[in-house]
Amino acid sequence: MTEPTPGRVTTPYEGRAAVWDETAAIEAPLRLHRTTAPAEWMDYNDHMSESCFLLAFGDSADAFFRFLGIDEAYRAAGHSLYTSQTHLHHRQEVTLGEPLALTVQLLDHDRRRLHIHHEMRHGETGVLIAEAEQLLVHVDTAEGRSVDLPAELLRRLDAIAAAHRELPRPDVVGRAMGIRRPPH
Amino acid sequence: MAEHAVGGAPFAAYHQPVRPEWLDYNGHLNDASYSLVLSAAHELVLESLGLSADYRASHRASMFTVETHLRYLAEVSAGQVLTAATTLVEADRKRLRLHSELYADGRLAATGECLYLHVDTVAGRSASLPDDRWARVEAMLGAHAELPRPPHLGLGVGSRP
Repeated sequence: MTEPTPGRVTTPYEGRAAVWDETAAIEAPLRLHRTTAPAEWMDYNDHMSESCFLLAFGDSADAFFRFLGIDEAYRAAGHSLYTSQTHLHHRQEVTLGEPLALTVQLLDHDRRRLHIHHEMRHGETGVLIAEAEQLLVHVDTAEGRSVDLPAELLRRLDAIAAAHRELPRPDVVGRAMGIRRPPH
Repeated sequence: MAEHAVGGAPFAAYHQPVRPEWLDYNGHLNDASYSLVLSAAHELVLESLGLSADYRASHRASMFTVETHLRYLAEVSAGQVLTAATTLVEADRKRLRLHSELYADGRLAATGECLYLHVDTVAGRSASLPDDRWARVEAMLGAHAELPRPPHLGLGVGSRP
């Protein structure tokens, strides 16, 4: 493993090798990441900064990638998942030390794209704090273009999709942004 | 031209070299850092409307981000300079919607759309903008009215223009 560059963005799962357990039941949704809002995520108002919501969702996404099989070794071999779009919905503010529990739901996938939905809830009360909808694309990192996922990862995605089939579709999915006005 | 400066159309005050702490393991701008850049660019717009940190202290009210939609279009690396071109797409007395194109060394790297809600921070609920701030918003709406609207504006994730 290479030494991390000082001061860059890191995730708590860096260096943890992906292990797919064929026999384990797949959670619906996946609960792969819990954290506590640290001081460095707070703004001058003592609320969590906007971009830190994406850091938290990014850490949960990294845990999901490792669950699926995308770790440092996979990326070193020349492929990765890149985020194509993120749509964040804020419901509540987060204060210092608040426990956060994150989930990932696989909404859809094809041979090279994943459509996922994240929830961030309060770690004790379960109150919904924020949601993020993301579109990810599998890329050849040297060529800088999208390519099909390998058959083994597609098989795993099919298994996750089967486990998530009965989950309700979150109402924010696919929703457009805009100022909604009451009908005249 | 309105009494208050509207910062050009589109609003283009943001200019920031990439900071090393914004990069990920790949040496590219991290997903969350695009959001940091978008927030900072939009903060300059809010500042020009008189709705930034000073306003929060003086009026006990603030613009809260309700939604953010980022579209990542290109990788950004160390040494590049980030700029933004922002349009005030629509607004009412309580809400603003901004759309930005983010550029790295002049090349389009991402687009970001945000919906803001004006909140009375004492009462903890949405409130109408005061008249003087609404006048500034209206001036910017007027200045931005003729700007082209990108085809992806207001589309959900996965939708194609």
